[in-house]
Amino acid sequence: MAAADVRDMLDLPAEGQPRPHKKQKVVEKRPEGITRELYALLGERAPPIAINENRYKGRPKWMSKLRVRPWCMAPFTNEARSDGLVLRHWQRQIDTAKPALEGPETEGEEPKQDEGAPPTPDQEYLFAKYNVKARVPRRYTDEEYNRHLKSDDWTRQETDYLMDLVEEYNLRWVIIADRYDFQPHPVDAETNNSALVPTRQVRTMEHMKARYYFIAASMLALEHPPSEMSEAEFELHEKMMKFEPERERARKELAALQLERSADAVREEGVLLEELKRITANEQNFIAERKELYSRLEVPISVGNTTMYQSSQGLSQLLQTLLQADKSKKRRSILGPEGAAPSPAAQTPAPNANARDSRGDTPSNAPAAPANKKAAAAAAANKEAQQNIRTLTPAEEAKYGVQHHDRLAPGVQFRSDRAQKLTQAKSNVQTQKLAAALAELEVPLRLVMPTERVCKEFEKLIHSVNLLLDARKVAEKVESEIRVLEAAKQERERKAKEAKEKEKPEVKTEQDDNPAPAADVTAEPSAAAPSAEGQTETTGDKEADTGRGDTGDVAAREATSQKRSASVLSTTSDKSTKRQKK
Amino acid sequence: MNPSIPPSTAEYGGDEVSAIVLDPGFSTTRAGFAGEDTPKSLIPTYYGKYAVEGQERLIFSDDVFVTPRPGLSVHNPMGRDGIVEDWDMAEKVWEYSFTSRLTGPRPGNPFQNGLNDIADGELPTEMDGVETEEKPLADSPLLMSECGWNPTKAREKTIEIAMEKWGTPAFYLARNGVLAAFASGKASALVVDIGASNISVTPVHDGMILKRGVQHSPLGGDYISSQIRALFKTNTPQPITITPHYLISSKAAVDAGQPSLAKYKTFPPEKAPDASYRTLLEERTLSEFKECVVQVWPGPNKLSATGPNGVSNEEVAKNNPGRPFEFPDGYNQVFGLDRYRVVESLFDAKAAIPDPESPFSAPTQAQTVPELIKNALNGVDVDIRPHLLANVVVTGASSLLHGFTDRLNQELMQSYPGPRVRISAPGNTAERKFGSWIGGSILASLGTFHQMWISKKEYEEHGPTIVEKRCK
Repeated sequence: MAAADVRDMLDLPAEGQPRPHKKQKVVEKRPEGITRELYALLGERAPPIAINENRYKGRPKWMSKLRVRPWCMAPFTNEARSDGLVLRHWQRQIDTAKPALEGPETEGEEPKQDEGAPPTPDQEYLFAKYNVKARVPRRYTDEEYNRHLKSDDWTRQETDYLMDLVEEYNLRWVIIADRYDFQPHPVDAETNNSALVPTRQVRTMEHMKARYYFIAASMLALEHPPSEMSEAEFELHEKMMKFEPERERARKELAALQLERSADAVREEGVLLEELKRITANEQNFIAERKELYSRLEVPISVGNTTMYQSSQGLSQLLQTLLQADKSKKRRSILGPEGAAPSPAAQTPAPNANARDSRGDTPSNAPAAPANKKAAAAAAANKEAQQNIRTLTPAEEAKYGVQHHDRLAPGVQFRSDRAQKLTQAKSNVQTQKLAAALAELEVPLRLVMPTERVCKEFEKLIHSVNLLLDARKVAEKVESEIRVLEAAKQERERKAKEAKEKEKPEVKTEQDDNPAPAADVTAEPSAAAPSAEGQTETTGDKEADTGRGDTGDVAAREATSQKRSASVLSTTSDKSTKRQKK
Repeated sequence: MNPSIPPSTAEYGGDEVSAIVLDPGFSTTRAGFAGEDTPKSLIPTYYGKYAVEGQERLIFSDDVFVTPRPGLSVHNPMGRDGIVEDWDMAEKVWEYSFTSRLTGPRPGNPFQNGLNDIADGELPTEMDGVETEEKPLADSPLLMSECGWNPTKAREKTIEIAMEKWGTPAFYLARNGVLAAFASGKASALVVDIGASNISVTPVHDGMILKRGVQHSPLGGDYISSQIRALFKTNTPQPITITPHYLISSKAAVDAGQPSLAKYKTFPPEKAPDASYRTLLEERTLSEFKECVVQVWPGPNKLSATGPNGVSNEEVAKNNPGRPFEFPDGYNQVFGLDRYRVVESLFDAKAAIPDPESPFSAPTQAQTVPELIKNALNGVDVDIRPHLLANVVVTGASSLLHGFTDRLNQELMQSYPGPRVRISAPGNTAERKFGSWIGGSILASLGTFHQMWISKKEYEEHGPTIVEKRCK
């Protein structure tokens, strides 16, 4: 569409003449034969005659120095032919004089040049190497045929014919099947004529393939038995032996059906394919989204020791180090020593930390310290704002979680941290023992829900467990001492006995008396145990003290104490479990 | 390109041995040197025969058309089915095609050309070596084309002529379907060749035709001419008679549809050429008509069918602007729907315009192009059918009918909705007309082809039967 048409449509006034300035832009090109200076003298209007004449471009200058290399019509023979047909083609004559002067781009045709004008017999024809034939198996001998390859379906003649075709058409089955036209031997036909008309079989490609593969595989197996075949050969053999003409035929029938589909079927298939594509695309999307979600949820498992970061001090320390690292990385030195301040990345965490500190520091002005729940804290703050001097009833205090502290450590800390700290004893062995005791009580080392009350109870529990452990330790000690002393006593008695026996042989009565006090000892603690229940700890302590006090005293007394401490142990554990249940 | 550097052979694998490619057809015979892009020599296969003083004279090439000699009759050595009928004349026409423009005329017998007259008292010189030199093709291998259904006898006769009469050192006979496929760069293709006397469909696989798939029918360019004649007979407002140029002495401009005001030349019966001459020249007018006016209904569906929006295709075709044509006698007319009807029977046998006088019997549906293609595909293995459909090569001068490839594409898409149908038809007129010649030119200039030639030595060893063995 021309500009005039557009103007016409839009009812614009037609422009008188096409804009002239555009025409001026056309720069006339300087003809090649004229120097720049001379062309400049010509001015605006070049003469209408053509100054330059069309010249033959010729060869580049450097080439003119080379000698002309003549071409000549040269006869050649083709090694792919058996009859030595001599054809003639144009060839460059060999340039024996100065091959060094040739340009680099002519290097590629070096071999062709060498073929040269006088036909050198040793030079192979360039295209002879493309004469390749398909590898077909060796032709069978009569004996081999009769022994291995006989078939009811195929006569020897027809098999030969098939093998000839295969060789002739280089295994192109489409063409073999197309050209296959076996005429049974005329002599056979004549003899059979009277008896029965030989039915002319229509050989399909599958028949031919099956027969050929069978023969090829058999010949391969004859040449090398399957056990000696190379891997490739064996594979080929397997492939050929496993050819199923029936299946191939069925496949072709399906292929034909597929080709003959109606337009509707094709359209439907297209729709279905489109649908399938959509579904798979959706699935891909979904999988990708889910993966992303998972990657967000999964926190990388840290390998290092994190115990130092579990307390709030540790965390703030970490923050500080990170800030330091950040500062040093960003090299804000250009802005001076305060350079770090204006950068928002460095600034924002610091006030936060301050705010936290101040909040932690200021419970003195407010009656209630900030609670763990923000909502509660906010509610408390609101209340505080409304009426400053209102005192809360204990019920309300419990409701809002208001607590009073005598003394507060600076900084934020978790209640669970404190509970946690209790489980850490001074020595590692002790800590382990504590943990074992808690495990025995089925109390988790780390509290699941560290509310105020639970923490208090936990504290109590830990305290009593500590006591228990102490008692156990003492008891063990005492027991071992008892054992030592008893052994010593026995030794002593034995010696005494020996000595007595030496003095007077009848000691029988004394020996009979001995078991009585022992029975007493065992009976005593069972009676004592219920009475001791109320003051176990003190008794335990007492016993321990006494045990510690007079080491190496009478065996009988110590035996009772030992028994008693054992019962104490059991009662304390009972108690603690009861407490736990409570 | 630098003329001193030959194109590297690796680029196209060519090695030219100055072979001659001869592609004989029913209407024209093409000949040229292998490696060129169009045949240098293009002559009609028709030849003229007349008698002067009792001596029979022959006219070849375009000279046939020029002068209406008394008693000039026009003949064609080829049969309508594309197989040579008159071997002697075919040999002469073919020989003329390459001697006239390519190899130069055959030197006369050296004993009779006067140069070798033996002076008195001299002994005759040894002339043994001369005989081979006489043969017109003594130093050019010859590649000839043939139709896919050429019988063995005809092939043997061809090699006999080439070897014994023309003395070619090497010969090859290739199927024109294969050559047309090569011309469009395909080794496997379904070649649809719309020629003058025949249309043929040839499945080609790996450079060889699949004989069971080859289909042909007589609905070629000449059949279309007969349809046009039938149309002219029933034309309104008045039947049209074609008067060739040689019968017109002067003409005057008339309005469309008005009877012509031309003055005619008259030939006395003893000076008049034969009727076949007039038919040949009428054919020339008709081919002009085909080039200018005739159009194939581009589809979808037949011309007689109803389009998607309820309007019949004929109505749509009628509404397309008509095309004017002026005949040699000045009569002119605009052709509307009729220009579609004359070729519709190539696709729909029922649409043929009936004409009892036509030499062509009414076409059957099996002779139409889509049916031929269907039959051709059914004759080949099912595995290669989709591949063939994706490589349909359209060639032959009659396929240049306006809209032909569009319609063929539509028809194929309709009958085969599943596989991809792709028609490759060169847009260049010369490439479409000379498809099989160009393929032959490519083939005969390939370095790898030179092992395929049947050499003279082989021919002498095995006789003409070798052509069946070698040219598969």
